[in-house]
Amino acid sequence: MTFQHLRGATALGLILFALTGVPVAAQSTGAVTIVLPEEPPSLEPCDAKHSSIGRVVIRNITEPLTRLDPSNGEVIPVLATEWNQIDTDTWRFKLREGVTFSDGTPFDAKAVIAAFTRLDRTDMVCNTKQQTLGGIDLTVTEISPTEVEITSSKPSPILPTMLTVVQMSSPSMEVKGASRAPIGTGPYALGTWRAGQDITLDRLDGYWGDAPQVAKATFVWRSESAVRAAMVDQGEADVALIIAATDATNPDIDFAYPNGETTRLRINTSTAPLNDVRVRKALNMALDLDALKPIVGDEVTRAEQLVPPNTLGYDADLRPFAYDPAGAKALLEEAKADGVPVDTQIDLIGRDGIYVGAAEMLQAMQAMWAEVGLNVNIRMFDTGNWLRYQNRPFPEPNVPMLGQDQHDNLLGDASFTLFNKYDSDGVNSGLWDEEVDKLIATGENTTGAERETAFKQAFARIHDDLVADVFMYHMVGYTRVGPRVDWKPTIAANSEIAIADMKLAE
Amino acid sequence: MSQIDHPMTMAKPARASTSRILGSLIQDRPALAACAFLILLAFSATLGAALMAPQATGVNMAMRNAAPQLGEGFAYLLGGDNLGRSVLARLVTGARTTLGIATAAVLCSLTIGATLGLFVGLRQGLMSDIIMRLTDVIMSFPALLTALIVLYLLGPSPVNLVIVLAITRIPVYLRTVRAEVLELRRRPFVNAARAMGASEGWITRHHLLPLVAPTLLTIASVDFAAVIIAESGLSFLGLGIQPPNFTWGAMVAAGRPYIAQAWWVTFFPGLAIMLTTLSLTLLSNWLRLVTDPNQRWRFTRSEG
Amino acid sequence: MAIFKRSLLTLLSLVILLVLVFFLSRLTGDPSYLFLPVNATPEARAAFAAQNGFDQPLMVQFLRYVGDVFTGEFGTSLRQQRPAIDVALEAFPVTLKLAAVTLAIAIAAAVVAGSLAAYRPRGLVDRTIGVTSLAGASAPDFWVAITLVLVFSVGLEILPTSGMGGPLTWILPVIVLGLRPFGLLVQVVRGSMIAALSAPYTKTARSKGASEGRVIFVHALRNSTLPVITVAGDIAASLINGAVIVETIFGWPGIGGVMINAILQRDFAVIQATILVTAIAILILNIGIDLLYRFLDPRVRFA
Repeated sequence: MTFQHLRGATALGLILFALTGVPVAAQSTGAVTIVLPEEPPSLEPCDAKHSSIGRVVIRNITEPLTRLDPSNGEVIPVLATEWNQIDTDTWRFKLREGVTFSDGTPFDAKAVIAAFTRLDRTDMVCNTKQQTLGGIDLTVTEISPTEVEITSSKPSPILPTMLTVVQMSSPSMEVKGASRAPIGTGPYALGTWRAGQDITLDRLDGYWGDAPQVAKATFVWRSESAVRAAMVDQGEADVALIIAATDATNPDIDFAYPNGETTRLRINTSTAPLNDVRVRKALNMALDLDALKPIVGDEVTRAEQLVPPNTLGYDADLRPFAYDPAGAKALLEEAKADGVPVDTQIDLIGRDGIYVGAAEMLQAMQAMWAEVGLNVNIRMFDTGNWLRYQNRPFPEPNVPMLGQDQHDNLLGDASFTLFNKYDSDGVNSGLWDEEVDKLIATGENTTGAERETAFKQAFARIHDDLVADVFMYHMVGYTRVGPRVDWKPTIAANSEIAIADMKLAE
Repeated sequence: MSQIDHPMTMAKPARASTSRILGSLIQDRPALAACAFLILLAFSATLGAALMAPQATGVNMAMRNAAPQLGEGFAYLLGGDNLGRSVLARLVTGARTTLGIATAAVLCSLTIGATLGLFVGLRQGLMSDIIMRLTDVIMSFPALLTALIVLYLLGPSPVNLVIVLAITRIPVYLRTVRAEVLELRRRPFVNAARAMGASEGWITRHHLLPLVAPTLLTIASVDFAAVIIAESGLSFLGLGIQPPNFTWGAMVAAGRPYIAQAWWVTFFPGLAIMLTTLSLTLLSNWLRLVTDPNQRWRFTRSEG
Repeated sequence: MAIFKRSLLTLLSLVILLVLVFFLSRLTGDPSYLFLPVNATPEARAAFAAQNGFDQPLMVQFLRYVGDVFTGEFGTSLRQQRPAIDVALEAFPVTLKLAAVTLAIAIAAAVVAGSLAAYRPRGLVDRTIGVTSLAGASAPDFWVAITLVLVFSVGLEILPTSGMGGPLTWILPVIVLGLRPFGLLVQVVRGSMIAALSAPYTKTARSKGASEGRVIFVHALRNSTLPVITVAGDIAASLINGAVIVETIFGWPGIGGVMINAILQRDFAVIQATILVTAIAILILNIGIDLLYRFLDPRVRFA
């Protein structure tokens, strides 16, 4: 074959180069290389909810008190061994004994207090607190060196779930700037960080849990999905995290898994013609979303609500709108007859790269809407500008607007979604409905079946009665895992990659 | 040059210069081919765009990333793109926006850059110093930041897109013209003209511009491609051309994730950009010959 | 005296640039949207602004910045929470090395190819060089980059896909980055060489019995140095500003990527620091080019 000839000739020509430099491969014993989409801005434990930080830090360097079992969403012990609720605002946690941080500092109640204090720092933003703990203030008090009491400023029936995001960092860590050298109780410690190039983690002796197989992990980053995938092909890396569906071409090494993200277009329901439910329904019915799946990945599933299954409050009985352009047209005619200005141009605020295929998706939708007579105008923005349109007060409130959005519930409880996205007072909400508000409030202040029912009813009302969104997909991620490593990515891979879970193939 | 060395007829002195220029074009095959390609482009941008617009916008997921094929007429001759639209139809339809934006941007930066470059090259003084230092500022100012600022101050529109694209390209023309003028104005023939009482304007028009033009045209031709690619890089900010309108640059960018699976989605628009650049360069090389003062006698009516 | 005036003016343009960047970058939006979670309350936004001094009037922020600059402080990166100047200085050497190697190779290759092309204008060699160099120069860079990775790394398996390291890792980035400079320079060299080869002084050299090689590479080439230097200087400036596509695809931690990310993330201190670093380099480059002009052609006088 000519390919072979070419290969031989070029190889010959490059032989001088080859003598001095060989492609870096990750084949040395017990070492793995993981290629990420981006370099973490820091390794600050209090900001570990930033996914690029979390992927390196969480459960490798630092560990939380509790974590979610990715298979069923249940809270399981890590650095806390057991817990119980004292009253509506107060919980007690027993701490794991005999654990030390990698610098030798013992892990005890004082260390827990220090880690929570780190969240409250004022010299920088700790997204962990802002994003997942909401406006709740947590106070930690020492009961004994191995037991703490955590009091929340408002009733928190799911506190153990919320604590899964708080990383226990060593009290010896300076509280100044974002740390680039975190110290935790995890099975690995930071080796080196060559800025812009790579981060290495080394296995620690004497880890409190089972000793992991992998002795050394190297994180590198490439922003191009095709290059990440090629690196695993060439043996330059063992895991290519998050590759595009189009690059996931080899079923033997490419894994598709639900990544916890749900996509939609938020509808600003206050402006005509979008304040008419028939128009909102027509927007949904005009789209053949099953046919458009290949743009984002064949494995995605239709979404009828903004949380994935396995989330407390997910309503499994909801059914997506069927593709029915004739029905959509009929609804629009009916609305038009009632004086609704259905011909008004609707602006669609999009962001390229919010997910793979994001811009294509909008173009396809625009073309389908045009077929039923809806005039939708795409306006793409960079992230900074697009985010302005995500938050109240919304810019250009009088323009009928759809907003491209992707949401990750993160903690498996619908309360982390419903209030912000659908409540009349939610910062990202384009909906004003008293009944939804009531259901959210009921759910948030109860537990068990009552909580679940209220959230389910809220989702049903949002989808069936109000049609508050253009509902799209529960998304999937694709990750390529090379032959040297035995590991399957789960829903958790978006925010953490526990090296200890990886086994080396024989 | 040998092909224009044979004797020329003097039958129609009045029209000789035009006909000779045309004659030289016909003899310069590559330049002729380039000219033909550009005329074809002009037709696509006008007539073709009107004819093929429907095939260029409708989504057809069954033909998503379809390989180039004959069947269903010529629609999928160059394959289907990521939404199953005919690449051929989109190339033809997209020619209008593409050529419009690129031509406007290149002409703006060329005109402004060349004018300022002439001024700076001829007049040395405070004003020239200021212009040169402002050029330094523009050269160090990232284009993306310029784009965001224009977006915030002026809002998104094709005109503002052209402004951004033009601003960032002014320095190269300015500095090229200045460098050449600084050298040329010391040449004996310029001094001679000045000694004979020619005005600065006359010298500029008759001696400097013709000598500077070839380099400018060369840069402008290559810039055409750069401007198209840059445009697609700005559309994610909302500053570029927004769908359902598109340029060739946007077509190339949209095919980026599919290079390994469907090369034709990026290849053909890339080829179109390349061929246009190539044609412009060939034409400018030919024009270089026509405008070269050393060769000019061949095309002008001989006096007496 | 002229050099002194030139340096003073250069310093002035640096100051103008930094002032412009300071004020104009702040026109591009509120960074709190990017640094706070999407569900952040207005109070959290206000706290963020206060924390970073964005609540102060712009003039106050500016005066504080000027004061800091004089004491060697260039602000803290919002995203990395460390000195912005460190972020810029860490990335710059990578860019400088890549730019220097690319430019050197592109100029050398363009001089050879351009001269060959000019020797027999419209000949087969000229046509071939013209078409291939232009094809390279007008091809979308990311397309070339990804295609090269697919062919040489995935298909032929003779080059690493990406990364910065041994000589092998330099090949693809330099090729991708050098295509445009090469294409542009070939045209420039060819153009001025054609003019030079038909000029009286080359004819004189020939008649005195100088070899063809000497005529082309000594006499005629000297004539084309001026435009080549001008265009190469311009290319060098754009290379110093970073090669975003090459950096991101091949994973090279250069300043182009840092700057683009800082702009998109409204990380003002890093925008200012990276522009400061690259602008100083470009200004030094421009002074160098002016000096080169003067050296090559003593008749040229500069203010």
